[in-house]
Amino acid sequence: MRQAAPSKSRFPLSPTTSFAGLLFVLVAIWYAASSQNNAASYLLLFALASVSLVSIPWTFSNMGGLQATVESVKPAFAGQEISLAVEVTNGSRGTRYDIAVALPDLGDAHERIDEIPAGKAARTVLRFPAAIRGEHEVGRLQLTSAYPLGFLRVVKQLPSPQRYVVYPKPAGEQRLPAETSRSGQSSSRREFGEGDDFAGVRAYVRGESQRHIDWKAVARGQALMTKQFTAESDGLLYLDFAAVRLDDLEARLSQLTLWVIEAERARRPYGLRLPTIEIPPSLGEPHLHRCLHALALFK
Amino acid sequence: MKTLRKKDTRVPRRPLLWLAAALLFTLPPMFGTLPSWVPLLFLIALAAKFWMEPKGYRLRSLIWKLVFVALILSLLFFSYGSLRGMEPGVSLIVLLTSVKILEAHTAREFHIMIMVAWILCLCGFFLSQNLAIALCLLIAFALLLVALIQFHRGLSSAFWPPIRIAAKLLAQAVPLIILLFLFFPRINTGLRFQIAPQRGASAGFSDRLSPGSVAVLANSSAAAFRAEFPDGKIPPLSAMYWRGVVMWHGEGLEWKAPAGPAALPRTSQGPPRGEAIRQWITIEPHDAHWMFALDWPVNSPSGAVLAPGNYLWSNQPIHKPRRYEVTSYPEIPNNRLHSREREPLLQVPASISPAARALAQSWATEKPNPRAIVNKALEFFRTQGFHYSFSPGQYGKNDLDEFLFHRRLGFCEHYAASFATLMRLAGIPARVVTGYLGGEYNEIGHFFLVRQADAHAWCEVWFPDSGWERVDPTAVVAPDRVNLGVNFFLERRAATGQLDNTQSAFARQLARWPIFGRARLGWQTLSYAWDTRVLSFDGDEQASFFASLGMAGHRPIFFIVGTLSFATALLTLYAGWTHLRTRPGGNRVKIMYETFCRKAARLGASRNPSEGPLDFSVRATRLLPNESERIRRIANTYIALRYAPAPDPMMLEQFAKEVNAFVRAS
Repeated sequence: MRQAAPSKSRFPLSPTTSFAGLLFVLVAIWYAASSQNNAASYLLLFALASVSLVSIPWTFSNMGGLQATVESVKPAFAGQEISLAVEVTNGSRGTRYDIAVALPDLGDAHERIDEIPAGKAARTVLRFPAAIRGEHEVGRLQLTSAYPLGFLRVVKQLPSPQRYVVYPKPAGEQRLPAETSRSGQSSSRREFGEGDDFAGVRAYVRGESQRHIDWKAVARGQALMTKQFTAESDGLLYLDFAAVRLDDLEARLSQLTLWVIEAERARRPYGLRLPTIEIPPSLGEPHLHRCLHALALFK
Repeated sequence: MKTLRKKDTRVPRRPLLWLAAALLFTLPPMFGTLPSWVPLLFLIALAAKFWMEPKGYRLRSLIWKLVFVALILSLLFFSYGSLRGMEPGVSLIVLLTSVKILEAHTAREFHIMIMVAWILCLCGFFLSQNLAIALCLLIAFALLLVALIQFHRGLSSAFWPPIRIAAKLLAQAVPLIILLFLFFPRINTGLRFQIAPQRGASAGFSDRLSPGSVAVLANSSAAAFRAEFPDGKIPPLSAMYWRGVVMWHGEGLEWKAPAGPAALPRTSQGPPRGEAIRQWITIEPHDAHWMFALDWPVNSPSGAVLAPGNYLWSNQPIHKPRRYEVTSYPEIPNNRLHSREREPLLQVPASISPAARALAQSWATEKPNPRAIVNKALEFFRTQGFHYSFSPGQYGKNDLDEFLFHRRLGFCEHYAASFATLMRLAGIPARVVTGYLGGEYNEIGHFFLVRQADAHAWCEVWFPDSGWERVDPTAVVAPDRVNLGVNFFLERRAATGQLDNTQSAFARQLARWPIFGRARLGWQTLSYAWDTRVLSFDGDEQASFFASLGMAGHRPIFFIVGTLSFATALLTLYAGWTHLRTRPGGNRVKIMYETFCRKAARLGASRNPSEGPLDFSVRATRLLPNESERIRRIANTYIALRYAPAPDPMMLEQFAKEVNAFVRAS
């Protein structure tokens, strides 16, 4: 998880690309004026330089009284876009112009707000790709303005404690396990994992509970193995981490995510069983998000 | 239309309009200095942009762009013969900008256009630097600021605010500009690129006086120079002969000055007589070496010599306005004329006709006294039906007879040239002097404006007893020209229908209105100030300015660091002031509330850090029952100001009043 950088780590004034153009023009005028000893050209040079200098306090004061807050962020699946609504409040007594809002810790997404009247707020939505599952911090919110002339910009960085969650990307080839009912006869109703009857051992997967490690085997010098047990299913669908026959953790989580969505879509009550947490079967939006949240945070 | 395809344009409309307006104001210096098709094409491109912009058209095809550029290069090559030099260079920039305008459609290109526009302002100053042009370019400069500001205001459509902000920015920049202009060192880099300014015939006379060469200037109202008399000693207008060049070599009606005169030896003349007249002269650039001074200058300003014949000659061609001080005396007796010097002063071309020779000879034999001969010659011009005319018709340089015996119609150069030739024929050393006569007094700025129209030519003859003396045959033929100045002369001619120039007659009519007259004088004064205070402040002027402040001898880096640190200090001060002025309202409320708490603490009711404003007010009312009403009001206003969604600005003032009153009442 990224740490929010301290907000005053850098000098707030930085040149824009048109500053390079200005510099070029100033040097050209200076060269022409000095080689011709032309007072009028010198006047132009000094006028341009002075106006650019005088505009700096304007740029700073255009930042005065601005506060930005991130509204609560809707979770998204990895690979999708996150929409982050930012509200910029102008607590000053003057109108603020040309404010660029960006998230320096989260890629180069930025949005421009043309104008915020005194005492009012403006809302903009920043979109950026949700790359990695998990809970992330917004980190810093960056307000930038080059108003009025656009040669130099003032950067104001505001730490934002707001967090957002990225669910694992729903993916996988495996089919949703069939519903296990109390009356079922087939072996598929047997759920591996926690239960009463010992069913064998398999290789330990990092992150699993250590309760079922075959410590005797370890003592014999063998690799870490997990003892598996079967339990009688209560007839509801349990999406079990251990039941996904994939080696890669992320792929497993993706598969589970896909199953959760499919089950929710099929209106089949489902539960989620992860090595760290078990969510009893249920249905509905809050339940769905609870499951997805658990999957997102799983380590 | 193949090259113009529909496309969504991304240049915001409004900043583009401002940019185009700014570009329009960079045009005036181009008219008259560049071939007229160059600014015309620029105008057409601007107009085309305005037509294309709403339709979303733009120039896209690379091939067409290349075709345009090739066309421009070849057109320029045909009209200049080469692409080197300043004017072809400026034309090239202007024309490439025209193509760029048609192409520009993104925000980035908008910024590039702004930069190009600034370069065009610079080009404008290279083409012309007079006050009118400077004002145009100032407007262009300000409009570019407006365009930038509007660009950054996005879709905000208010018309005046960007203009107001640009004006404020400019006003705030003025102290900084003055500081930099005065103190930022003018380093002469020695990096010189050649400029070849081509000025028209209106820029003054040449080193050759030929029939008609002064008359062409008679309608030019362009300024030649301005003169101030710092001691207040002003000679009468009719004696205000501004000496330009002395022409020694006569060929009938045509006279020539030496190409590069040597300096006059100091010892060659006697002490000057009469009252010294000090003059400050600000000369307009004419790209030649002439410098002007009243008859007779005795010293030469720096960078110039006093040439034989007592006229000033600049060592370098004068490419920009220059201000100099010179002292003149009405008389310099010089009665030593060596026979070696005398001989060339009597030379006449062999082509002079026997009739002219006979005329001069007849005066010489009749009166042996040179002064009598001169008077006889003047008598001849006065009585023999000579007329003063701006358009005396064509004369060749050998048409002395035609002028003297047949047409008898001429302008000052005809009279001066023929008079000097006749004097030489009569055995009196004579020369022709060209310069200006008179000038227009500006009562606002207290200076004389001498225009090209005041150009004049006169004679000097040498008398054994007193040396060189001025003789102006024009004064005999047309006394008004000398006594009243050329303007009055022209006016009178116009009134009697002798001058067929309705436009100038109208202008002169207009000039008689008092308001217009005042405005004209004011403009001339401003223009004079621009020339003398701004344009002539170059590296040398700056050096003497530093010397006058006792700061001479410092290295340029001293001034660079000095000015920049001073500018930074100024800027910091200004930034601090801006910060104080525009600090958020919330802070001010808090600061005032803290003031209130401090005051209350002094009275014995100190607020606990954890105590809310309401709790504190309840406690404070108990502790300070006299002030209970005010304390309650302050607390309520404070809460409203800090926590209400949109507090009334009036409330803040009320709050400030209450907090202030709190201690005074106690």
